[in-house]
Amino acid sequence: MSKNTKFLVVDDFSTMRRIIKNLLHDLGYQNVVEADDGKTALPVLQAGGIDVLITDWNMPGMPGLELLKAVRSDEKLARMPVLMLTAEAKREQIIEAAQAGVSGYVIKPFTAETLKEKLDKILAAGK
Amino acid sequence: MQQPVDFKAQYSARVEALRKAFDRGDEAAFLAVLDELLHTRKAALLADLRSLTGTLKFALERFSLEAHLADLAENEIPDARLRLAHVLEMTNEAAHRTLDLVEQSGPPAERTSKTAEELNRSWKLFRSRKIAPREFKEMVKRMDRFLPVARSDAELIRRNLAEVLLTQGYQDLTGQIIRGVMQLVQELESTLAKLVRLAGSENATPRASEAEVPGRAFGPAVPGVTQGKVATGQQDVDDLLSDLGM
Repeated sequence: MSKNTKFLVVDDFSTMRRIIKNLLHDLGYQNVVEADDGKTALPVLQAGGIDVLITDWNMPGMPGLELLKAVRSDEKLARMPVLMLTAEAKREQIIEAAQAGVSGYVIKPFTAETLKEKLDKILAAGK
Repeated sequence: MQQPVDFKAQYSARVEALRKAFDRGDEAAFLAVLDELLHTRKAALLADLRSLTGTLKFALERFSLEAHLADLAENEIPDARLRLAHVLEMTNEAAHRTLDLVEQSGPPAERTSKTAEELNRSWKLFRSRKIAPREFKEMVKRMDRFLPVARSDAELIRRNLAEVLLTQGYQDLTGQIIRGVMQLVQELESTLAKLVRLAGSENATPRASEAEVPGRAFGPAVPGVTQGKVATGQQDVDDLLSDLGM
């Protein structure tokens, strides 16, 4: 994936979106769009052009897990790398996300290094 | 109220004794049985009165609890909601202000670091007497430009850091509001617990375990509250996913 990789960052807290956006910029990814929950994210994804989805889990409207399932069941989006970036840390939840087809799982609070490491991994796997 | 007792069973022996004493003209025995009868009646009345007082006390207690609960529900809880909304707003503002300041500080820090590195290269050549006269002149010119800019950039970053520090004051304010809401929750809890005890609701159904709803989000794990196995760090998550073959 090139530095033109386009990210969609989905989180209901604008501060968290800003933090992720800043970290992505630091990693050289300038192409970042945002959405505040699954419901607003899905049309953006369906419109096309997004390469990687980074989503929170706990959001009003449509939570991240549902968004992940929607992505995996959409023929056009099914293969998209999806990184779950969330405070949800229960064992069963992580297993649930894995079964729903998440590409990477990072728990909050997280470090810039962890984000980079997981992104590199899922981007390498997506090649 | 006292249990109804068959009055014949309760009084027949004494009435019989009373009648016999009367027939015999035995005044002392007659008065003794009469006293006994009156005492029994008084004790029954007192027991009824005690029971009535108890019921009244229960009703008053319940009434005052319900009135307190109504006040909590009508006034205190909406207030608490507004207070928490304010907390959300304050934390949001503080986080954005901090992000603004950090974003503002990035470019001057980068500029200083980059220019200092370039100048350092020329400076090293100069120190090892390998610098060309033209490059030396250029270095001096750049140094003239760099020093005042580095000074003002460092000053800007210092000011921003000082403001980041001040912005953290939100913790004190929001902390006070959250503590107030915690007190309210505690009050609500004890009032509800008293009401439940008064109502004697022992057969209340226990709440379903958190984990039973699939796909539910719980938010950040809270020590002492969150049930079940929780990953304590990214390493736990990575280990679990690797066990799952990811």
